[in-house]
Amino acid sequence: MRPEEISKKTEQLVTINTEDLAPLPYPYENYEETPITPLKEEQKKKWEHSLDGVSALTLPKPETPEEEERLVKAFLSGLEKLMTKENNWTFLQPLMLSMEYCAKCQTCADACPAFEMSGRKDIYRPTFRADVVRKIAKKYLSKGGNILAHFRGHDIDLNWDTVARLAELSYRCTLCRRCASVCPVGVDNGLMNHELRKIFSQEMGIAGPEIHEKGSVKHLKFGSSTGMTTAAVADIIEYLEDDIEEKTGKKIKIPLNKKGAEILLIHNAGEFMAWPENPMAFAILFDAAGIDYTLSTELAGYDAVNYGLWYDDVQFARVALKHLEIARDLGVKKIVIGECGHAHKALSVIADRLLPGAQMIPRESSYTLLNEIVKSGKIKFDPSKNDFPVTLHDPCNVVRLMGIVKPQREVLNAILPPGRFREMEPHGVENYCCGGGSGFAIMSSGNFSDWKRLVSGRKKLSQILNAFQGEMDPSIRKMVCAPCSNCKGQIRDMLESYEVFEKTGIWYTGMVELMVNAMVDQEKPFLEWPGDEDDDD
Amino acid sequence: MGFLQILTYLSGLVFVIGFAAKLLKYATMPMHVRWELYPIPHEGKEWGGSFYEEIDHWKKTRHIDHMAQYRFMVPEILFIRALHEDNRSLWYWSFPFHMGLYLCIGGLVFLGLGAFVQIFGMAPENSALASLLQSLTTVFAVPGYILGTIGVVGLTVKRMTDSGLADVSAGIDFMNLIWLGLLFVTGFIVWLQDPGFLVSRAFFQSLITFGPMTEPMGAIHVVNLLLFIGFWAYFPFTHMTHMVSKYFMWDKVKWDDDPNKGDAGMDSKIKKYLAYPVTWAAAHVGAEGGKKNWADVATSNPWENKDQK
Repeated sequence: MRPEEISKKTEQLVTINTEDLAPLPYPYENYEETPITPLKEEQKKKWEHSLDGVSALTLPKPETPEEEERLVKAFLSGLEKLMTKENNWTFLQPLMLSMEYCAKCQTCADACPAFEMSGRKDIYRPTFRADVVRKIAKKYLSKGGNILAHFRGHDIDLNWDTVARLAELSYRCTLCRRCASVCPVGVDNGLMNHELRKIFSQEMGIAGPEIHEKGSVKHLKFGSSTGMTTAAVADIIEYLEDDIEEKTGKKIKIPLNKKGAEILLIHNAGEFMAWPENPMAFAILFDAAGIDYTLSTELAGYDAVNYGLWYDDVQFARVALKHLEIARDLGVKKIVIGECGHAHKALSVIADRLLPGAQMIPRESSYTLLNEIVKSGKIKFDPSKNDFPVTLHDPCNVVRLMGIVKPQREVLNAILPPGRFREMEPHGVENYCCGGGSGFAIMSSGNFSDWKRLVSGRKKLSQILNAFQGEMDPSIRKMVCAPCSNCKGQIRDMLESYEVFEKTGIWYTGMVELMVNAMVDQEKPFLEWPGDEDDDD
Repeated sequence: MGFLQILTYLSGLVFVIGFAAKLLKYATMPMHVRWELYPIPHEGKEWGGSFYEEIDHWKKTRHIDHMAQYRFMVPEILFIRALHEDNRSLWYWSFPFHMGLYLCIGGLVFLGLGAFVQIFGMAPENSALASLLQSLTTVFAVPGYILGTIGVVGLTVKRMTDSGLADVSAGIDFMNLIWLGLLFVTGFIVWLQDPGFLVSRAFFQSLITFGPMTEPMGAIHVVNLLLFIGFWAYFPFTHMTHMVSKYFMWDKVKWDDDPNKGDAGMDSKIKKYLAYPVTWAAAHVGAEGGKKNWADVATSNPWENKDQK
């Protein structure tokens, strides 16, 4: 399909058929997939879905031709602003390089898990959406853009169908940037997608509801994208302290708002709600290692997420500046980011040039600090307590986009018995996204969850299954270590959808949970497996 | 001075101005936020690691391995390694095409040097140096024509027959390939007619001395020259200048992991950018049509409830 066909007047451009999908490995070779749930008639009438029959944005259809025209003009105006230094100094140079230099070689396509696993649907090629944007810019925003437009390859119609499909298409890429890592010219079609999302958000107010209204807005309004208020945090921390005592017999006080502490530790607040054992494990480890740290209960200070990273520079900057401001007020020497991949990149890398150097606070990965704790010998680990096969998922934001590859492996090698660690292939900087990147892990509007299950999460599921081939007996318990909140959420959803634990014995956890499980002075197992409570009963 | 010489000068002028404008355009763009992609060779960690793997990295002296960068870039430029690793079926044609171009450029350099020494009376028949330069011209240019032609044919067929490539290819892409193909083929014919590059060297000499052309030029040679003149002027305005993007994309984007340690240059840039007016129109941005700058919008919180605590 040519990119120009995106403006075609048709009910639906592409259909995802389960029989087209790339096959999964044993024991799922003949698995009967549940197809994408079609939108209901009333949803179809309300929401744009003409790209692939999926609605991630629940984008309302314009009611009049005038409204369509206004939105198309707004899109063009946003694209124009995107190419100015005043509105887009943050990404102008890499954007313009990627706009101008694609050699159309399609090397990036084979690197993209969404394209591959969808059964190679053209619309998911990394170049497809990027080419549409390039063509619109050339035809509608460059001098003489109409001259020989067909011959020059940018004769595209900019209509509402184009804009609506582009909006949805910008949420079919996880921003993992594998495409950019293989481009022989250096073009970054992942960045093109990031910038496209910015047009929709910053100019048109269109974004995934879970990452904007229910995400960064809630973060700035209540203090956390989970909706957890500053008043509730202290209570939750108390519950965690009680749970720690129950699970370990230790009375541990989790420090809050401690001025002058060496470290401000910020978790993804989703951990408090979905996986409280993760912040508990951090507390146990930091207490045992004698780390001088604090958590914050200030607005945004207890939630490391920064959803603006995926769609909006302004929202991104607001949250990042809050994090830095809180650390400055507490007088800490550094911020340590918990097991949250995108928070790592947001605060450590992208936010690094938002403020003059004197106003910055050093940021560090918890992986690095945890590895240092292991190396210090302050905590004694007994690897035999983790005597089951373990594979490691590399969060893209931490590995390919930040270069933290070894510390997590060194930690695992110290807390697992020899021969129990299996690498996925490929891994490290060549890893595949969990399928929940760029906000997908928390997005479930319309019928988008089905798309994630069938397409974006499929490669990782395939990798996980491949990592344990030969030991698929469900009685052999196996663990995926996913030291990132969003990755963990996506992997959980995939394992549950495909009943992977029941069929193969594979489950998931974070890294700190495995560490605490291996602590010599931890009497009871800290890790929980599905069905453990039933066994206890 | 003849018409062809004037056209060549004009073409060169357009090339220099066009290319310089392109370099300047990218070189003067604002410093962007960090958007690096690992592995970064200068980090010196073959597994793709970075300084973030070290505890308290900001307290330590950074070791930048420049040699690792060259070890990466030289095979990348010469042999198009990325394509070899990730798109082998295209590399089979892209490599001879690019190598053909490099060799032809090399041949042109030796031709120019030969023309230069000829001004001082050193011709291949009476000077060992001139004879060596003539041989080198042949050694570079002729395989260049052959490899380039193979590459053009292969790339053209591939672009027409591979549906993934055909869908994204336009008339202009085929025109570019055919243009270069004709340049290689006519160049080869010129060499067959004039194996010592006598006429070409005389033409080059006339360009250097602003003098008259001393040797008659055949029709194919004129066609070859016109194809070259046209392409030289056209080239800076195409995406084929991707050596520019390669430099910027690698050195200034993918490998730009310089941390903000508060140096004066970076600080002043950041302060300047934060004062840029914002005109994004979405309500949540609160730009007020450019009345607010980046510092204003980034430090505002339209949703903060002061009474919440």
